[in-house]
Amino acid sequence: MDDASDTDRPVELILARNLVSIISLAAVLVDIEGALVYYNEAAAEVIGSRFEDRGLIPRAEWSVEMGPVDGEGTPIPIDDLPLTAALRDGRPGYGQFFIRAEGGLMEISVGTLPLVGATGNHGALVVFWPVPKES
Amino acid sequence: MQVKLWGVRGSIPVPGPDAAGYGGNTSCVEVTTGDGCELILDAGSGIRALGAVLEGRCRHVHILLTHLHLDHIQGLTFFAPIFDPAVEVTVWGPPAAGEGLRERLARFISNPIFPVEIRDLPARVTFETVPSGPWEVGGVEVRAAPVAHRGVTLGYRLETDRASLAYLPDHEPGLGEDLDKADPEWISGHSLAADASVLIHDCQYADPEYPKHCGFGHSRVTDALTFARRARAERTLLFHHDPGHDEATLDALGEQAASEYDAGAVEMAREGLAIDLAR
Repeated sequence: MDDASDTDRPVELILARNLVSIISLAAVLVDIEGALVYYNEAAAEVIGSRFEDRGLIPRAEWSVEMGPVDGEGTPIPIDDLPLTAALRDGRPGYGQFFIRAEGGLMEISVGTLPLVGATGNHGALVVFWPVPKES
Repeated sequence: MQVKLWGVRGSIPVPGPDAAGYGGNTSCVEVTTGDGCELILDAGSGIRALGAVLEGRCRHVHILLTHLHLDHIQGLTFFAPIFDPAVEVTVWGPPAAGEGLRERLARFISNPIFPVEIRDLPARVTFETVPSGPWEVGGVEVRAAPVAHRGVTLGYRLETDRASLAYLPDHEPGLGEDLDKADPEWISGHSLAADASVLIHDCQYADPEYPKHCGFGHSRVTDALTFARRARAERTLLFHHDPGHDEATLDALGEQAASEYDAGAVEMAREGLAIDLAR
């Protein structure tokens, strides 16, 4: 393994990863640029690949791949996303929308927690869970 | 840079014969730059004796605090130069939401904890939150970054064109992380310590003690050694000795470290140890 690194991830992200890696709720970590820098096993089931196999996913890539979208598959404006609230405004967010997963659209509820530390906003912890389909 | 250890103990000073060899004072490391500038890493009880040596000999002292736990600031009010009106003291410390560094330290340097209020300190004392990027003090490039410990805590890297010193006295990079396998960018403090000429690193616990103290913000021997190996430090000083560890225990931990570590030089930090990083 190459041990060269010019910078470490912010310690807020490092400690958040420790938590995300051991919880059973699907959770992802997003850096301040919006890149998906880590996701846990529960999230991997939705995303379709393990983080260890895939690695960092830039924002432009995951937004094309997964959305989020409305029920018709139309992308949701960025200002309406809970992740925007966390990254741009530094406040928690909540939303319910669809993502492209498992060959179709999956409706999920999403909560975002901005990782604001003493040195600023470093990203967000995002948890999500499927919305039960109405019978 | 000339480096000298004035306090290597963690948590609380340990006076008496049980600490005579390694020393009983809490964290304090003196760095004298090529320009003759005095940088002091942390103001644990070890800074008292250092202050006695510096008294009347320096005009400007920089004190770099990693964090404000008591064992890292308790010597500040017994540091002789801070009572000398002719001396300028710049205290650098971690950022925090809300109160500034001066206001946070004033809780300690004020009634009823201490008889002198922070505003009445005779020296010209200023308090500065560390910048987000590198800055220069006395010809040395200084870099600070938050590291894994309870509360906002900094590690420091001091660098010249000849050598580098990494100082992470309170650090638990192994918390929830497999240090052997983790990518370097996900190891707390890694870039501060990378390729350091000398790494001073937390090693408060023997391995069997660690499970009861996991999450306290300190490292066990194997984690400290793994961190040093991943950082490729040339020489590692294991630091912040547990106050309950007597001389024999520290000797044994030092022997364990020396036998298990093959990636560079490693030793237990000892009060009074001086290192010449100018060569």
